[in-house]
Amino acid sequence: MKLHVHLSSDWLLETEMREYRPSEPVDFVVVGSGAGGGVMAQRLASFGFSVVVLEAGPWHDSETDMVSDEAGSARLYWDDLRITGGSEPLELGANNSGKGVGGSTIHYAAFCPRLHPSDFRVRSLDGVAVDWPISYDDLAPYYEAMEREYPVSGPHRYPWGRPHGYPYAPLQAGTAGQMLVKGCTALGIPVVAGGPVAIPAGRVGRRPHCIMRGFCLLGCKVGAKSSTLVSHIPDAIEHGAEIRTSSMAFDVVLDDAGRVRAVRYHRTLDDGRVVEEEQVCRAAVIAGYAIETPRLLLNSRSPRFPDGLADSSGLVGANLMAQAGPVVWGRFDEPIRQYKAPPACAISEEFYETDARNDFVRGYALQTVAPLPIAMAHLIADQDGLFGEELVRAMQDYDHYAAIGVLGEILPDPRNFVSLHPTERDRFGQPVPYVHFNLFENDRRMMAAGIARATAVLEAAGAIETRAVRRYAHLVGTCRMGASPDDSVVDRWCRSWDVPNLFITDGSILPTQGSANPALTISALAARTADWIRRAVPAGALDIRPASRRTVAA
Amino acid sequence: MIRDRFPGSDILAQRGHWDDATRRVVLDRVHNIPPFRFFDEDEQRTLEALCERVLPQPGRPAARRVRIAPWIDERCSNEAHEGFRFDDMPPGPEAWRLGLRGLDETARALHGAPFAVLSDGHQGEVLDSVRRGEPPGETWRTLPPRRWWMQVALREITGVYYAHPTAWDEIGFGGPAYPRGYASLNRGAPEPWEAREDLGARAADEAERRAAATAPRTAEPDAEAGPAATSAATSDAPARRSIGAAE
Repeated sequence: MKLHVHLSSDWLLETEMREYRPSEPVDFVVVGSGAGGGVMAQRLASFGFSVVVLEAGPWHDSETDMVSDEAGSARLYWDDLRITGGSEPLELGANNSGKGVGGSTIHYAAFCPRLHPSDFRVRSLDGVAVDWPISYDDLAPYYEAMEREYPVSGPHRYPWGRPHGYPYAPLQAGTAGQMLVKGCTALGIPVVAGGPVAIPAGRVGRRPHCIMRGFCLLGCKVGAKSSTLVSHIPDAIEHGAEIRTSSMAFDVVLDDAGRVRAVRYHRTLDDGRVVEEEQVCRAAVIAGYAIETPRLLLNSRSPRFPDGLADSSGLVGANLMAQAGPVVWGRFDEPIRQYKAPPACAISEEFYETDARNDFVRGYALQTVAPLPIAMAHLIADQDGLFGEELVRAMQDYDHYAAIGVLGEILPDPRNFVSLHPTERDRFGQPVPYVHFNLFENDRRMMAAGIARATAVLEAAGAIETRAVRRYAHLVGTCRMGASPDDSVVDRWCRSWDVPNLFITDGSILPTQGSANPALTISALAARTADWIRRAVPAGALDIRPASRRTVAA
Repeated sequence: MIRDRFPGSDILAQRGHWDDATRRVVLDRVHNIPPFRFFDEDEQRTLEALCERVLPQPGRPAARRVRIAPWIDERCSNEAHEGFRFDDMPPGPEAWRLGLRGLDETARALHGAPFAVLSDGHQGEVLDSVRRGEPPGETWRTLPPRRWWMQVALREITGVYYAHPTAWDEIGFGGPAYPRGYASLNRGAPEPWEAREDLGARAADEAERRAAATAPRTAEPDAEAGPAATSAATSDAPARRSIGAAE
């Protein structure tokens, strides 16, 4: 297949992409091409493995498919039906789910902080949630690698967690970002500006630098913002990987020995016809994010796994975490014009860690957000259903708002889950996901404290009025990584406890989420797993079925 | 009253600086208003009246008016959805049809006539009862009124309106910015080509706002307020209000 994809204004990926016949066994099928799948495909292909990536969505050609326009960007998002419920039903779609090559990295704001060392030991330190089976030090070299490869701009010394610096200088701040700095500084709260954000302050290869247009969440037409579409996928293709688009996986097929043999998927052809195909493989990596990954596993039933693949723990789909993301905005007398410059700009992680003075454990980060007009209208209308002249006039102050996102750690709870909907079917006839989310006491207290803090910061910056609306951001945690097959779905190498040649490398494996945007962590985990695979394959490790609970009991 | 805060703003006149794909999308939105295919004539009248109450455009010349209802009709006839549905809500097109029927039921219960023929004030009362989650009407027994108001009516109506260059002129948004980008990043300064704000109009708006903020509020805060609720005003300045999402 001749590829002809605009990745930026002056970068045309024009190459011959290798294509496999579905019946031709490849070493790895990777399901998904976002922060996890994109990096995994690049690593595996560069190690010499044959790789087919099944991506449910299309290629996003930056010249023709991305626009500087909020309402015109719907095709970047996961628009297939999902049902959402619970006491705090989550908004999905454009809010947190991308579709197409690059996955959610196409529309993320590109904040790329690391987790803190404490995030890996929440049970030990705070007596809640779980510990990770790995430590910060296990992941640190991969954080460094991803910060170079995305790459990430930020201060020379980032003071929180394990202090570190960034390979690219801080990105220029707009006035909205300057308000978070101003307010924090007035209150004596440490704050940094210009990152960590995966928008390099400078040219990277053929990628131009940022033009400060502020449409990061609608896909970077410039090609400056890092996404796997521009960072890792082109290299994966250069190394012989095939990215098979419009291919929606629905069944992971096992052989008689209980090993993955193939992945079945529905492929939508250019003329709109849908065909069912099966890609034969030696191993599979699932990277469909926190909803589609458990959905695919739960939908892959076999005599060996009647309730869903790799689910001997019963935890596939359990412990869904949304990251708290309430938005607090201030109205200022002076103009702000928040639509200029990337929304991801300034950040403070001063309240990230557990503090004995709080009535909750864990914490939150304060980050700039900069809603474009439609997003701002939704925030304002969400103030108790505001409408009419009041709404029009509140929006006429659009140029006078600056906003802070409170990115907070919601704890894992088995009562929050993803399952298959009993009756609703998608256009391929497969059960749609049901996403069930509730808020619990620690979460409520943390959010209230974060909103109060953000309000104080905006007032200290000079806001004459502040408002807050509840929002939720990133979704993680439905195929937890752990130290034992009883309490987790995958092991420390992101490998299924039940199926030796099945891996999961996306947000679903995070046991806890911290108060950091998850993309960098997901990519780092994928790169780490890929390194293990490179070592393990020659040793024959993928052929061995690890001891499952049942065999241990027997 | 709604004042002209950015006199002379004409974002559409900047279209020569936009990229082809963006220009196509925005001009199509301005010039190619889709015909009604989903709603019948009664429903159209109710929907048009609803849109005008949610985002009033009094005195705006016809050529500058933002058409909202036809785009909602188009979404319904295409069965477009946003990638999710609340488990207590029907699919989008059905939710719209039921909600419009509910508005008429509430209008008849409160004021004895269909929604579209009521006065502006009476229409406002109907919408307030839906907003508070306690509208009279059979349909609202199965369709959660507050969810419909927040997640269907307001989301979609504002989503159409603030996608239009006329709305961008109204609020001082610079619009599409590729490949030109933005250069004036400090102190909220406009680009050389952006309209200047009428500071007199802003001061007048602000004075009215302060007066309203110190006057007693008529509407009671909602008990089950959902995403936003009122909290006590801070003490240091009468014009400074703080409204938080915490319960």
